[in-house]
Amino acid sequence: MSKIMPLEVLASIKNAKPSKSVEELFDVIKTAFPDFSKDIPEEINEVNIITVENLRNDVVAESTNKEKNLIRNNFPREKNGFLVVSKVIEG
Amino acid sequence: MESEILKVHNALIAKNISCADLIADKISAIRNSSNNTANFILDDVALEMALAVDSKIKNDEEIGFLEGVPFGLKDVYLLQGCNASGSSKFLKDYISPYTATAIKKLMDAGAIPVVKENCDCFGHGSTSENTFFGPVKNALDENLVAGGSSGGSAVNVAKGFTAFSIGGDTGGSIRQPAAFNKVYGLKPTYGRISRFGIMAYASSTDCVGPIAKSLEDIRIITNAMSGKDIHDSTTTDSIPIPESIFCDKIADNEFCLGYYKSFFANENIDQGIKQNFEGMISKIRKKGITVKELEFFDTNILVSTYYVLAMAETASNLARLDGTTYGERILGEGIKDDRAISRSENFTEETKRRIVGGTQVLSHGYSHGIYTKARFLLREIQRKFQSDFSEVNLVISPVTPNPTPRMGESLKDPLLMYLSDAYTVGFSLGGLPTLTCPFGQGVQVTADKNNEALVLKFAHFLKSII
Repeated sequence: MSKIMPLEVLASIKNAKPSKSVEELFDVIKTAFPDFSKDIPEEINEVNIITVENLRNDVVAESTNKEKNLIRNNFPREKNGFLVVSKVIEG
Repeated sequence: MESEILKVHNALIAKNISCADLIADKISAIRNSSNNTANFILDDVALEMALAVDSKIKNDEEIGFLEGVPFGLKDVYLLQGCNASGSSKFLKDYISPYTATAIKKLMDAGAIPVVKENCDCFGHGSTSENTFFGPVKNALDENLVAGGSSGGSAVNVAKGFTAFSIGGDTGGSIRQPAAFNKVYGLKPTYGRISRFGIMAYASSTDCVGPIAKSLEDIRIITNAMSGKDIHDSTTTDSIPIPESIFCDKIADNEFCLGYYKSFFANENIDQGIKQNFEGMISKIRKKGITVKELEFFDTNILVSTYYVLAMAETASNLARLDGTTYGERILGEGIKDDRAISRSENFTEETKRRIVGGTQVLSHGYSHGIYTKARFLLREIQRKFQSDFSEVNLVISPVTPNPTPRMGESLKDPLLMYLSDAYTVGFSLGGLPTLTCPFGQGVQVTADKNNEALVLKFAHFLKSII
Protein backbone atom coordinates (compact mmCIF):
# COMPACT_ATOMS: atom_id res chain seq x y z
CA MET A 1 0.00 0.00 0.00
CA SER A 2 1.31 3.42 -0.94
CA LYS A 3 2.47 5.58 1.98
CA ILE A 4 1.11 8.69 0.27
CA MET A 5 -2.63 8.97 0.79
CA PRO A 6 -4.58 11.21 -1.56
CA LEU A 7 -6.35 14.30 -0.20
CA GLU A 8 -9.70 12.70 -0.95
CA VAL A 9 -8.93 9.88 1.50
CA LEU A 10 -7.30 12.07 4.15
CA ALA A 11 -10.20 14.55 4.21
CA SER A 12 -12.82 11.85 3.61
CA ILE A 13 -14.42 14.04 0.98
CA LYS A 14 -15.13 12.76 -2.53
CA ASN A 15 -13.08 14.43 -5.31
CA ALA A 16 -11.31 16.70 -2.78
CA LYS A 17 -9.00 19.09 -4.62
CA PRO A 18 -6.81 21.98 -3.44
CA SER A 19 -8.45 25.41 -3.78
CA LYS A 20 -6.68 28.21 -5.64
CA SER A 21 -7.90 30.80 -3.09
CA VAL A 22 -6.56 28.76 -0.19
CA GLU A 23 -3.25 28.10 -2.00
CA GLU A 24 -2.80 31.88 -2.25
CA LEU A 25 -3.04 32.11 1.56
CA PHE A 26 -0.44 29.33 1.85
CA ASP A 27 1.90 31.23 -0.50
CA VAL A 28 1.91 34.20 1.87
CA ILE A 29 3.07 31.95 4.74
CA LYS A 30 5.67 30.21 2.56
CA THR A 31 7.34 33.50 1.66
CA ALA A 32 7.03 35.16 5.10
CA PHE A 33 10.10 35.00 7.37
CA PRO A 34 12.57 33.43 4.91
CA ASP A 35 14.98 32.79 7.83
CA PHE A 36 12.51 30.37 9.45
CA SER A 37 14.58 27.43 10.69
CA LYS A 38 14.13 23.88 9.51
CA ASP A 39 14.17 22.82 13.15
CA ILE A 40 10.83 23.21 14.87
CA PRO A 41 11.29 26.09 17.33
CA GLU A 42 10.42 25.25 20.94
CA GLU A 43 8.50 28.50 21.48
CA ILE A 44 5.62 27.49 19.22
CA ASN A 45 4.52 25.25 22.05
CA GLU A 46 4.31 28.19 24.45
CA VAL A 47 0.92 29.22 23.05
CA ASN A 48 -2.24 28.29 24.98
CA ILE A 49 -0.50 26.13 27.56
CA ILE A 50 -2.73 24.43 30.12
CA THR A 51 -0.99 23.38 33.30
CA VAL A 52 -1.52 19.85 34.58
CA GLU A 53 -3.28 21.06 37.73
CA ASN A 54 -5.86 22.81 35.53
CA LEU A 55 -6.89 19.59 33.81
CA ARG A 56 -9.99 17.89 35.14
CA ASN A 57 -9.76 14.42 36.61
CA ASP A 58 -10.02 11.60 34.12
CA VAL A 59 -13.14 10.00 35.53
CA VAL A 60 -16.27 8.59 33.94
CA ALA A 61 -19.27 10.88 34.49
CA GLU A 62 -22.60 9.12 34.23
CA SER A 63 -25.06 10.88 31.91
CA THR A 64 -28.63 11.40 33.04
CA ASN A 65 -31.35 9.26 31.49
CA LYS A 66 -32.59 12.33 29.64
CA GLU A 67 -29.16 12.84 28.08
CA LYS A 68 -28.87 9.15 27.19
CA ASN A 69 -32.26 9.20 25.47
CA LEU A 70 -31.39 12.33 23.52
CA ILE A 71 -28.11 10.77 22.41
CA ARG A 72 -29.97 7.61 21.28
CA ASN A 73 -32.54 9.70 19.43
CA ASN A 74 -29.72 11.29 17.44
CA PHE A 75 -28.52 7.91 16.11
CA PRO A 76 -28.78 8.00 12.31
CA ARG A 77 -29.80 4.32 12.38
CA GLU A 78 -31.05 2.54 15.45
CA LYS A 79 -32.18 -0.99 16.25
CA ASN A 80 -33.46 -2.14 19.64
CA GLY A 81 -31.79 0.82 21.34
CA PHE A 82 -28.42 0.14 19.70
CA LEU A 83 -26.54 2.19 17.13
CA VAL A 84 -26.40 0.45 13.77
CA VAL A 85 -23.12 0.84 11.90
CA SER A 86 -21.87 -0.55 8.62
CA LYS A 87 -19.63 -3.57 8.82
CA VAL A 88 -16.39 -2.33 10.38
CA ILE A 89 -14.06 -5.15 9.30
CA GLU A 90 -13.72 -5.00 5.56
CA GLY A 91 -12.17 -7.56 3.26
CA MET B 1 -28.45 53.88 24.04
CA GLU B 2 -30.49 52.76 27.03
CA SER B 3 -30.01 49.26 28.39
CA GLU B 4 -32.53 46.88 26.82
CA ILE B 5 -32.19 44.60 29.84
CA LEU B 6 -33.09 47.44 32.20
CA LYS B 7 -36.01 48.46 29.95
CA VAL B 8 -37.47 44.93 29.99
CA HIS B 9 -36.84 44.54 33.72
CA ASN B 10 -38.60 47.82 34.53
CA ALA B 11 -41.55 47.02 32.25
CA LEU B 12 -42.02 43.62 33.91
CA ILE B 13 -41.86 44.82 37.51
CA ALA B 14 -44.14 47.77 36.70
CA LYS B 15 -46.54 45.17 35.21
CA ASN B 16 -46.74 47.17 31.97
CA ILE B 17 -46.55 43.88 30.10
CA SER B 18 -46.62 40.23 31.12
CA CYS B 19 -43.56 38.18 30.40
CA ALA B 20 -45.63 35.71 28.35
CA ASP B 21 -46.93 38.55 26.13
CA LEU B 22 -43.45 40.01 25.78
CA ILE B 23 -42.02 36.66 24.66
CA ALA B 24 -44.96 36.05 22.30
CA ASP B 25 -44.41 39.52 20.74
CA LYS B 26 -40.71 38.84 20.17
CA ILE B 27 -41.34 35.41 18.68
CA SER B 28 -44.03 36.80 16.40
CA ALA B 29 -41.68 39.57 15.21
CA ILE B 30 -38.93 37.05 14.42
CA ARG B 31 -41.36 34.73 12.64
CA ASN B 32 -42.80 37.53 10.49
CA SER B 33 -39.46 39.13 9.67
CA SER B 34 -37.98 38.94 6.17
CA ASN B 35 -34.40 38.99 7.52
CA ASN B 36 -34.26 35.18 7.90
CA THR B 37 -32.52 35.27 11.27
CA ALA B 38 -34.09 32.17 12.82
CA ASN B 39 -33.18 28.53 12.30
CA PHE B 40 -35.38 27.35 15.16
CA ILE B 41 -37.82 29.26 17.33
CA LEU B 42 -37.96 28.06 20.93
CA ASP B 43 -41.68 28.54 21.63
CA ASP B 44 -42.08 25.81 24.25
CA VAL B 45 -38.98 26.50 26.34
CA ALA B 46 -39.55 30.27 26.20
CA LEU B 47 -43.22 30.19 27.10
CA GLU B 48 -42.68 27.82 30.03
CA MET B 49 -39.97 30.09 31.46
CA ALA B 50 -42.09 33.21 30.84
CA LEU B 51 -45.06 31.78 32.74
CA ALA B 52 -42.79 31.04 35.71
CA VAL B 53 -41.60 34.67 35.71
CA ASP B 54 -45.20 35.93 35.51
CA SER B 55 -46.12 33.73 38.43
CA LYS B 56 -43.33 35.24 40.56
CA ILE B 57 -44.36 38.78 39.62
CA LYS B 58 -48.01 37.99 40.39
CA ASN B 59 -46.97 36.74 43.84
CA ASP B 60 -44.91 39.92 44.39
CA GLU B 61 -41.70 37.95 44.53
CA GLU B 62 -38.52 39.78 43.62
CA ILE B 63 -37.13 38.99 40.16
CA GLY B 64 -33.50 39.15 39.11
CA PHE B 65 -32.16 41.63 36.60
CA LEU B 66 -32.02 39.09 33.75
CA GLU B 67 -35.23 37.26 34.67
CA GLY B 68 -37.71 37.30 31.81
CA VAL B 69 -35.31 39.00 29.38
CA PRO B 70 -35.54 37.42 25.89
CA PHE B 71 -32.29 36.53 24.19
CA GLY B 72 -31.09 34.72 21.08
CA LEU B 73 -28.27 32.25 20.66
CA LYS B 74 -26.30 31.48 17.55
CA ASP B 75 -27.24 28.04 16.28
CA VAL B 76 -23.87 26.60 17.23
CA TYR B 77 -24.76 26.43 20.94
CA LEU B 78 -26.28 23.38 22.53
CA LEU B 79 -29.49 23.77 24.51
CA GLN B 80 -30.78 20.51 25.92
CA GLY B 81 -33.76 19.08 24.04
CA CYS B 82 -33.59 21.72 21.28
CA ASN B 83 -32.22 21.60 17.74
CA ALA B 84 -28.59 22.56 17.16
CA SER B 85 -27.67 22.51 13.49
CA GLY B 86 -24.66 24.81 13.15
CA SER B 87 -26.71 26.03 10.14
CA SER B 88 -25.70 22.82 8.40
CA LYS B 89 -27.62 20.23 6.42
CA PHE B 90 -25.62 17.58 8.26
CA LEU B 91 -27.14 18.42 11.65
CA LYS B 92 -30.50 19.82 10.60
CA ASP B 93 -32.32 17.26 12.78
CA TYR B 94 -29.78 17.03 15.62
CA ILE B 95 -31.14 17.54 19.15
CA SER B 96 -28.78 18.76 21.88
CA PRO B 97 -28.28 16.28 24.71
CA TYR B 98 -27.00 18.95 27.13
CA THR B 99 -26.74 22.73 27.49
CA ALA B 100 -23.69 24.93 26.85
CA THR B 101 -22.23 26.41 30.05
CA ALA B 102 -22.55 30.06 28.91
CA ILE B 103 -26.21 29.56 27.96
CA LYS B 104 -26.94 27.67 31.18
CA LYS B 105 -25.52 30.54 33.23
CA LEU B 106 -27.81 33.02 31.48
CA MET B 107 -30.84 30.74 31.93
CA ASP B 108 -29.97 30.15 35.59
CA ALA B 109 -30.10 33.95 35.95
CA GLY B 110 -33.58 33.86 34.40
CA ALA B 111 -32.88 35.06 30.84
CA ILE B 112 -35.18 33.38 28.31
CA PRO B 113 -33.84 31.86 25.06
CA VAL B 114 -36.28 32.54 22.22
CA VAL B 115 -34.40 31.69 19.04
CA LYS B 116 -31.53 29.62 17.61
CA GLU B 117 -30.02 32.09 15.19
CA ASN B 118 -28.99 31.64 11.57
CA CYS B 119 -25.26 31.93 10.88
CA ASP B 120 -22.59 30.74 8.49
CA CYS B 121 -22.40 26.96 8.57
CA PHE B 122 -20.10 25.93 11.50
CA GLY B 123 -18.89 29.56 11.57
CA HIS B 124 -17.36 29.22 8.09
CA GLY B 125 -18.03 32.60 6.54
CA SER B 126 -18.12 36.36 6.88
CA THR B 127 -21.56 37.10 5.43
CA SER B 128 -24.09 34.56 6.84
CA GLU B 129 -24.80 33.38 3.30
CA ASN B 130 -23.06 30.01 3.73
CA THR B 131 -26.03 28.43 5.50
CA PHE B 132 -28.48 25.61 4.82
CA PHE B 133 -31.29 27.88 6.05
CA GLY B 134 -30.83 30.59 3.41
CA PRO B 135 -28.92 33.88 3.69
CA VAL B 136 -29.52 36.35 6.50
CA LYS B 137 -30.39 39.88 5.38
CA ASN B 138 -28.89 42.98 6.94
CA ALA B 139 -31.01 44.82 9.52
CA LEU B 140 -30.46 48.24 7.91
CA ASP B 141 -30.66 47.32 4.23
CA GLU B 142 -31.89 43.92 3.09
CA ASN B 143 -29.84 44.15 -0.11
CA LEU B 144 -26.70 43.95 2.00
CA VAL B 145 -25.26 40.96 3.84
CA ALA B 146 -25.73 40.59 7.58
CA GLY B 147 -22.05 39.89 8.14
CA GLY B 148 -20.84 36.73 9.72
CA SER B 149 -20.64 34.34 10.96
CA SER B 150 -22.98 35.52 13.77
CA GLY B 151 -25.18 37.41 11.28
CA GLY B 152 -28.58 36.28 12.58
CA SER B 153 -27.59 37.28 16.11
CA ALA B 154 -26.51 40.81 15.14
CA VAL B 155 -29.62 41.39 13.02
CA ASN B 156 -31.95 40.19 15.80
CA VAL B 157 -30.41 42.65 18.23
CA ALA B 158 -30.45 45.53 15.74
CA LYS B 159 -34.11 44.89 14.89
CA GLY B 160 -35.07 44.60 18.57
CA PHE B 161 -36.20 40.96 18.19
CA THR B 162 -33.99 39.98 21.12
CA ALA B 163 -32.77 42.12 24.02
CA PHE B 164 -29.34 40.66 23.39
CA SER B 165 -27.85 37.70 21.56
CA ILE B 166 -24.93 35.37 22.13
CA GLY B 167 -22.62 35.02 19.15
CA GLY B 168 -19.41 33.11 18.66
CA ASP B 169 -16.18 34.75 17.48
CA THR B 170 -13.23 32.81 16.05
CA GLY B 171 -11.74 35.41 13.69
CA GLY B 172 -14.24 38.29 13.88
CA SER B 173 -17.61 36.56 13.77
CA ILE B 174 -19.15 38.72 16.49
CA ARG B 175 -17.35 41.99 15.75
CA GLN B 176 -17.88 42.19 11.99
CA PRO B 177 -21.66 41.54 11.91
CA ALA B 178 -22.02 43.89 14.89
CA ALA B 179 -20.40 46.61 12.76
CA PHE B 180 -22.52 45.80 9.68
CA ASN B 181 -25.73 46.10 11.72
CA LYS B 182 -24.61 48.98 13.98
CA VAL B 183 -24.70 47.31 17.39
CA TYR B 184 -22.05 46.49 20.00
CA GLY B 185 -20.30 43.11 19.93
CA LEU B 186 -17.62 41.87 22.32
CA LYS B 187 -15.05 39.16 21.75
CA PRO B 188 -13.80 38.66 25.30
CA THR B 189 -10.36 37.51 26.37
CA TYR B 190 -9.80 33.91 25.25
CA GLY B 191 -10.77 31.71 28.19
CA ARG B 192 -12.92 34.25 30.02
CA ILE B 193 -16.14 32.47 29.00
CA SER B 194 -16.49 28.70 28.74
CA ARG B 195 -16.72 27.16 25.28
CA PHE B 196 -18.29 23.95 26.59
CA GLY B 197 -21.35 23.20 24.47
CA ILE B 198 -20.40 25.33 21.45
CA MET B 199 -19.67 23.52 18.19
CA ALA B 200 -15.90 23.83 17.83
CA TYR B 201 -14.55 25.64 14.78
CA ALA B 202 -10.94 26.57 15.65
CA SER B 203 -10.47 25.73 19.30
CA SER B 204 -7.45 27.97 19.90
CA THR B 205 -9.36 31.17 19.04
CA ASP B 206 -13.06 30.24 19.55
CA CYS B 207 -14.74 32.70 21.95
CA VAL B 208 -18.28 33.14 23.28
CA GLY B 209 -19.47 36.73 23.43
CA PRO B 210 -22.46 39.08 23.62
CA ILE B 211 -24.05 41.32 21.01
CA ALA B 212 -26.23 44.14 22.38
CA LYS B 213 -27.44 47.68 21.79
CA SER B 214 -25.77 49.21 24.83
CA LEU B 215 -22.45 49.02 26.66
CA GLU B 216 -24.28 48.41 29.93
CA ASP B 217 -25.91 45.29 28.47
CA ILE B 218 -22.54 44.05 27.18
CA ARG B 219 -21.19 44.48 30.72
CA ILE B 220 -24.07 42.66 32.41
CA ILE B 221 -24.07 39.70 30.00
CA THR B 222 -20.29 39.30 30.00
CA ASN B 223 -20.27 39.20 33.79
CA ALA B 224 -23.11 36.66 33.84
CA MET B 225 -21.31 34.25 31.50
CA SER B 226 -17.70 34.59 32.74
CA GLY B 227 -15.80 32.22 34.99
CA LYS B 228 -13.90 29.02 35.28
CA ASP B 229 -15.62 25.87 34.05
CA ILE B 230 -14.51 22.34 34.82
CA HIS B 231 -15.68 21.30 31.34
CA ASP B 232 -13.35 23.75 29.57
CA SER B 233 -9.78 23.64 30.84
CA THR B 234 -8.86 26.84 28.97
CA THR B 235 -11.19 28.93 31.15
CA THR B 236 -9.74 31.32 33.71
CA ASP B 237 -11.02 33.20 36.72
CA SER B 238 -11.95 36.79 35.95
CA ILE B 239 -12.88 39.90 37.87
CA PRO B 240 -16.43 41.18 37.20
CA ILE B 241 -16.58 44.44 35.24
CA PRO B 242 -17.87 47.07 37.68
CA GLU B 243 -20.72 49.42 36.80
CA SER B 244 -18.58 52.32 38.00
CA ILE B 245 -16.46 52.21 34.82
CA PHE B 246 -19.09 54.31 33.07
CA CYS B 247 -18.64 57.11 35.62
CA ASP B 248 -14.85 57.19 35.75
CA LYS B 249 -12.89 59.78 33.77
CA ILE B 250 -10.82 58.37 30.93
CA ALA B 251 -8.25 61.00 30.09
CA ASP B 252 -5.18 61.50 32.18
CA ASN B 253 -1.56 62.12 31.42
CA GLU B 254 -0.59 58.48 31.65
CA PHE B 255 -3.21 57.18 29.24
CA CYS B 256 -1.99 56.35 25.75
CA LEU B 257 -3.89 55.02 22.78
CA GLY B 258 -2.35 53.20 19.82
CA TYR B 259 -3.33 52.32 16.27
CA TYR B 260 -1.66 50.15 13.66
CA LYS B 261 -0.17 51.99 10.71
CA SER B 262 0.04 48.78 8.65
CA PHE B 263 -3.76 48.54 8.62
CA PHE B 264 -3.77 51.64 6.43
CA ALA B 265 -0.97 50.45 4.17
CA ASN B 266 -3.55 48.03 2.79
CA GLU B 267 -4.21 49.40 -0.70
CA ASN B 268 -7.72 47.94 -0.71
CA ILE B 269 -8.98 50.00 2.23
CA ASP B 270 -12.04 52.07 1.44
CA GLN B 271 -11.17 55.78 1.49
CA GLY B 272 -14.36 56.67 3.41
CA ILE B 273 -13.48 54.22 6.20
CA LYS B 274 -9.91 55.57 6.29
CA GLN B 275 -11.06 59.20 6.49
CA ASN B 276 -13.65 58.46 9.19
CA PHE B 277 -11.01 56.72 11.26
CA GLU B 278 -8.52 59.57 10.85
CA GLY B 279 -11.27 62.03 11.83
CA MET B 280 -11.94 60.04 14.99
CA ILE B 281 -8.23 59.98 15.90
CA SER B 282 -8.18 63.73 15.49
CA LYS B 283 -11.18 64.15 17.84
CA ILE B 284 -9.53 61.91 20.44
CA ARG B 285 -6.29 63.92 20.27
CA LYS B 286 -8.26 67.14 20.77
CA LYS B 287 -9.47 65.71 24.10
CA GLY B 288 -5.86 65.65 25.28
CA ILE B 289 -5.27 61.93 24.80
CA THR B 290 -1.91 60.79 23.45
CA VAL B 291 -2.33 58.69 20.32
CA LYS B 292 0.62 56.66 19.13
CA GLU B 293 1.20 55.12 15.70
CA LEU B 294 2.38 51.49 16.00
CA GLU B 295 4.09 49.12 13.60
CA PHE B 296 2.50 45.72 13.05
CA PHE B 297 2.50 42.72 10.76
CA ASP B 298 1.31 43.01 7.20
CA THR B 299 -2.43 42.28 7.10
CA ASN B 300 -1.91 39.51 4.52
CA ILE B 301 0.31 37.69 7.03
CA LEU B 302 -2.34 38.06 9.73
CA VAL B 303 -5.08 36.70 7.48
CA SER B 304 -2.95 33.81 6.18
CA THR B 305 -1.70 32.82 9.64
CA TYR B 306 -5.24 32.83 10.97
CA TYR B 307 -6.70 30.81 8.10
CA VAL B 308 -3.93 28.21 8.10
CA LEU B 309 -4.47 27.54 11.81
CA ALA B 310 -8.28 27.80 11.64
CA MET B 311 -8.48 25.43 8.67
CA ALA B 312 -6.17 22.90 10.34
CA GLU B 313 -8.28 22.99 13.50
CA THR B 314 -11.62 22.82 11.72
CA ALA B 315 -10.43 19.85 9.64
CA SER B 316 -9.65 18.12 12.92
CA ASN B 317 -12.79 19.25 14.77
CA LEU B 318 -15.17 18.32 11.96
CA ALA B 319 -13.62 14.87 11.53
CA ARG B 320 -16.21 13.77 14.10
CA LEU B 321 -18.98 14.54 11.62
CA ASP B 322 -19.28 11.37 9.59
CA GLY B 323 -22.89 10.28 10.01
CA THR B 324 -21.96 7.40 12.30
CA THR B 325 -23.28 8.40 15.73
CA TYR B 326 -25.30 11.50 14.76
CA GLY B 327 -26.06 13.66 11.76
CA GLU B 328 -27.36 12.57 8.39
CA ARG B 329 -25.90 9.27 7.17
CA ILE B 330 -25.91 8.46 3.46
CA LEU B 331 -25.19 4.82 2.69
CA GLY B 332 -22.46 3.80 0.26
CA GLU B 333 -20.42 0.66 -0.15
CA GLY B 334 -19.08 0.10 3.37
CA ILE B 335 -18.12 2.31 6.29
CA LYS B 336 -15.41 4.35 4.54
CA ASP B 337 -17.68 5.07 1.61
CA ASP B 338 -20.63 5.92 3.92
CA ARG B 339 -18.42 8.39 5.69
CA ALA B 340 -17.06 10.00 2.51
CA ILE B 341 -20.46 10.28 0.84
CA SER B 342 -22.14 11.61 4.00
CA ARG B 343 -19.48 14.31 4.33
CA SER B 344 -19.38 15.18 0.63
CA GLU B 345 -23.15 15.55 0.32
CA ASN B 346 -23.77 17.32 3.62
CA PHE B 347 -20.96 19.90 3.86
CA THR B 348 -21.21 23.14 1.89
CA GLU B 349 -18.55 24.08 -0.67
CA GLU B 350 -17.01 26.60 1.76
CA THR B 351 -16.82 24.07 4.59
CA LYS B 352 -15.26 21.50 2.26
CA ARG B 353 -12.75 24.11 1.06
CA ARG B 354 -11.67 24.74 4.67
CA ILE B 355 -11.52 21.05 5.61
CA VAL B 356 -9.46 20.24 2.51
CA GLY B 357 -7.16 23.24 3.17
CA GLY B 358 -6.72 22.15 6.78
CA THR B 359 -6.01 18.58 5.72
CA GLN B 360 -3.38 19.84 3.29
CA VAL B 361 -1.48 21.91 5.87
CA LEU B 362 -1.40 19.02 8.31
CA SER B 363 -0.05 16.58 5.75
CA HIS B 364 3.47 15.62 4.76
CA GLY B 365 5.15 18.23 2.56
CA TYR B 366 3.05 21.08 3.93
CA SER B 367 3.14 20.75 7.70
CA HIS B 368 6.57 22.27 8.37
CA GLY B 369 6.61 24.95 5.70
CA ILE B 370 3.06 26.13 6.36
CA TYR B 371 1.42 24.84 9.55
CA THR B 372 4.47 24.95 11.84
CA LYS B 373 5.48 28.28 10.37
CA ALA B 374 1.99 29.64 11.05
CA ARG B 375 2.32 28.45 14.67
CA PHE B 376 5.65 30.27 14.84
CA LEU B 377 4.06 33.43 13.41
CA LEU B 378 1.26 33.14 15.96
CA ARG B 379 3.83 33.25 18.76
CA GLU B 380 5.52 36.26 17.13
CA ILE B 381 2.16 38.05 16.83
CA GLN B 382 1.40 37.38 20.49
CA ARG B 383 4.85 38.65 21.50
CA LYS B 384 4.28 41.83 19.50
CA PHE B 385 0.99 42.43 21.30
CA GLN B 386 2.72 41.93 24.66
CA SER B 387 5.28 44.52 23.70
CA ASP B 388 2.66 46.97 22.35
CA PHE B 389 0.56 46.82 25.50
CA SER B 390 3.58 47.79 27.55
CA GLU B 391 3.62 51.03 25.53
CA VAL B 392 -0.10 51.80 25.09
CA ASN B 393 -3.24 51.12 27.12
CA LEU B 394 -5.53 50.42 24.21
CA VAL B 395 -5.46 49.93 20.45
CA ILE B 396 -8.23 51.15 18.17
CA SER B 397 -8.88 50.14 14.59
CA PRO B 398 -11.59 49.92 11.95
CA VAL B 399 -13.48 46.60 11.87
CA THR B 400 -13.28 45.95 8.12
CA PRO B 401 -11.35 47.49 5.24
CA ASN B 402 -14.50 47.83 3.11
CA PRO B 403 -18.16 48.74 3.53
CA THR B 404 -20.85 46.06 3.95
CA PRO B 405 -20.98 43.92 0.77
CA ARG B 406 -24.12 43.39 -1.25
CA MET B 407 -25.79 39.97 -1.09
CA GLY B 408 -24.07 37.41 -3.33
CA GLU B 409 -20.84 39.38 -3.93
CA SER B 410 -18.58 37.55 -1.45
CA LEU B 411 -19.63 34.02 -2.42
CA LYS B 412 -18.11 34.56 -5.85
CA ASP B 413 -14.62 35.21 -4.49
CA PRO B 414 -13.54 33.24 -1.38
CA LEU B 415 -10.12 34.93 -1.23
CA LEU B 416 -11.76 38.36 -1.11
CA MET B 417 -13.94 37.12 1.76
CA TYR B 418 -10.89 35.85 3.67
CA LEU B 419 -9.08 39.16 3.15
CA SER B 420 -12.07 41.11 4.48
CA ASP B 421 -11.14 39.71 7.92
CA ALA B 422 -7.83 41.62 7.82
CA TYR B 423 -8.55 43.83 10.87
CA THR B 424 -10.26 41.29 13.12
CA VAL B 425 -8.16 38.11 12.92
CA GLY B 426 -5.02 39.58 14.52
CA PHE B 427 -6.81 40.27 17.82
CA SER B 428 -8.25 36.73 17.73
CA LEU B 429 -4.75 35.30 17.38
CA GLY B 430 -3.72 37.47 20.33
CA GLY B 431 -6.63 36.17 22.45
CA LEU B 432 -7.34 39.81 23.32
CA PRO B 433 -10.61 41.42 24.43
CA THR B 434 -11.95 43.46 21.51
CA LEU B 435 -15.19 45.36 21.25
CA THR B 436 -16.93 46.60 18.13
CA CYS B 437 -18.59 49.98 18.67
CA PRO B 438 -21.29 51.03 16.18
CA PHE B 439 -19.69 54.34 15.21
CA GLY B 440 -19.41 54.96 11.47
CA GLN B 441 -18.62 51.63 9.76
CA GLY B 442 -17.56 50.30 13.17
CA VAL B 443 -14.58 50.83 15.45
CA GLN B 444 -12.72 48.12 17.38
CA VAL B 445 -11.32 48.84 20.83
CA THR B 446 -8.74 46.32 22.06
CA ALA B 447 -6.93 45.96 25.38
CA ASP B 448 -4.43 43.56 26.87
CA LYS B 449 -5.83 40.25 28.14
CA ASN B 450 -8.44 40.40 30.93
CA ASN B 451 -8.92 44.14 30.58
CA GLU B 452 -12.52 44.19 29.34
CA ALA B 453 -13.30 46.93 31.90
CA LEU B 454 -10.92 49.37 30.21
CA VAL B 455 -12.32 48.49 26.78
CA LEU B 456 -15.89 49.30 27.86
CA LYS B 457 -14.80 52.41 29.74
CA PHE B 458 -13.04 53.81 26.69
CA ALA B 459 -15.94 52.86 24.39
CA HIS B 460 -18.21 54.87 26.70
CA PHE B 461 -15.87 57.84 26.42
CA LEU B 462 -15.62 57.45 22.62
CA LYS B 463 -19.41 57.47 22.35
CA SER B 464 -19.50 60.79 24.17
CA ILE B 465 -17.16 62.49 21.69
CA ILE B 466 -18.38 61.01 18.38
